[in-house]
Amino acid sequence: MKKVINFTLNGEVVEHAVDTNKTLLKMLREDFELTGAKEGCGAGECGACTVIMNEKAVNSCLVLAVEIEGASITTIEGLTLDGILDPLQESFIDNAALQCGYCTPGMIMTAKVLLNENPHPTEEEIKEGISGNLCRCTGYKKIVEAIEKVANDNEE
Amino acid sequence: MNAFEYFAPTTLKEAIDILNEKGEEASILNGGTDLIVRMRDGISDPKYVVDIKKIKGMDDIRIENGRVFIGASALLNDLGNNQDIQKRYPFLSKAALSIGSKQVRNRATCIGNICNASPLAGMATPLLALNATVHVFGNYGEKDILLKDFFVFVRKTLLKHGEIVTGISFEEQACLGVFTKISRRRKVDLSTVCSTVVKKYDEYRISFGAVAPTPVRLNKTEAFLKGKMLSKDIIEKACELAMSEVSPISDIRASESYRRELVQVMLRNSLSQWY
Repeated sequence: MKKVINFTLNGEVVEHAVDTNKTLLKMLREDFELTGAKEGCGAGECGACTVIMNEKAVNSCLVLAVEIEGASITTIEGLTLDGILDPLQESFIDNAALQCGYCTPGMIMTAKVLLNENPHPTEEEIKEGISGNLCRCTGYKKIVEAIEKVANDNEE
Repeated sequence: MNAFEYFAPTTLKEAIDILNEKGEEASILNGGTDLIVRMRDGISDPKYVVDIKKIKGMDDIRIENGRVFIGASALLNDLGNNQDIQKRYPFLSKAALSIGSKQVRNRATCIGNICNASPLAGMATPLLALNATVHVFGNYGEKDILLKDFFVFVRKTLLKHGEIVTGISFEEQACLGVFTKISRRRKVDLSTVCSTVVKKYDEYRISFGAVAPTPVRLNKTEAFLKGKMLSKDIIEKACELAMSEVSPISDIRASESYRRELVQVMLRNSLSQWY
């Protein structure tokens, strides 16, 4: 059963007929081939599917695609403009804040909202901010450092 | 997830009509952080999904006519970060921000947490201790149910099919309160045991989650404490009474005896703040 929805995806206005039983995550991956957001737990515990919906970080596995009517969605793919990486993406690379990379898109989208809301977070606030995102390989130290670097650049 | 028909009514009347017309195979969708997981796992399999978030005025959090009102679609983050709530009822704000992750709280609602009626519902203990009232809308109009009567059993409430909870409210009150959540990990975890203790002059309201089939008020312990000056001895007696008043079970998170022990530790720590 399909329903037509209108929304903004990475800055582009989209009209799309989507299966009502698809989550936002599934629609992004299967219908738009935006495979940055990942399914980890599918239950709101790991944050690997985090995208930005109307300026807020949400788990795209816990949102039905039909619920985003009228909303603005930004995925990790939308952070790169004309091939130029977002400062957070640069910083994750420069600081080796990823290993397998599965958690990285979600981690960066969460950090993006965190820095939008609070451009100068303390280390504690960064840890608190990414507490809804799990990483199972690199560990959190380098991830926190990568976000801190961008926050420090904000200060300059 | 099986196929279903999706509705997004913009008025309560419209929503109720769809629920009544479609019958038991229709589910109410609010924040969705519980329902969508249950649908994915095949535990819930609705043929019709009625999204109530587009209904006007449902996401309000307001203080008027001496009452604090939390609308059905108000997000946990909106409640937790509301400045009036933080100032006057910091324990309620703390409870809201203790649930799930920031991403989850950007979708999950206070009312959804209550309507799920989990024994460990994070929003239940502060609202029970505030003597909250649940506002329900049905084809008969509006009705109120006291939150303490609302919970019937594990995941069962007095809510009938064809009814929608429009919000929850409590009387404005000058009180002190302590919310405590014990969990295996500090963030993004369910409560092993949670509690709220509210003090209003020499009256104490004590509520616990995850120690009985529903979140509960400890009436005997409250009656014992009423009108008494807190002392070390009184607090110890209250803690003993509280342990005898709960009926926890052993599960994946903790044993029955550990939970019972937590009850007295949490109550002692809460009451000791005012002694």
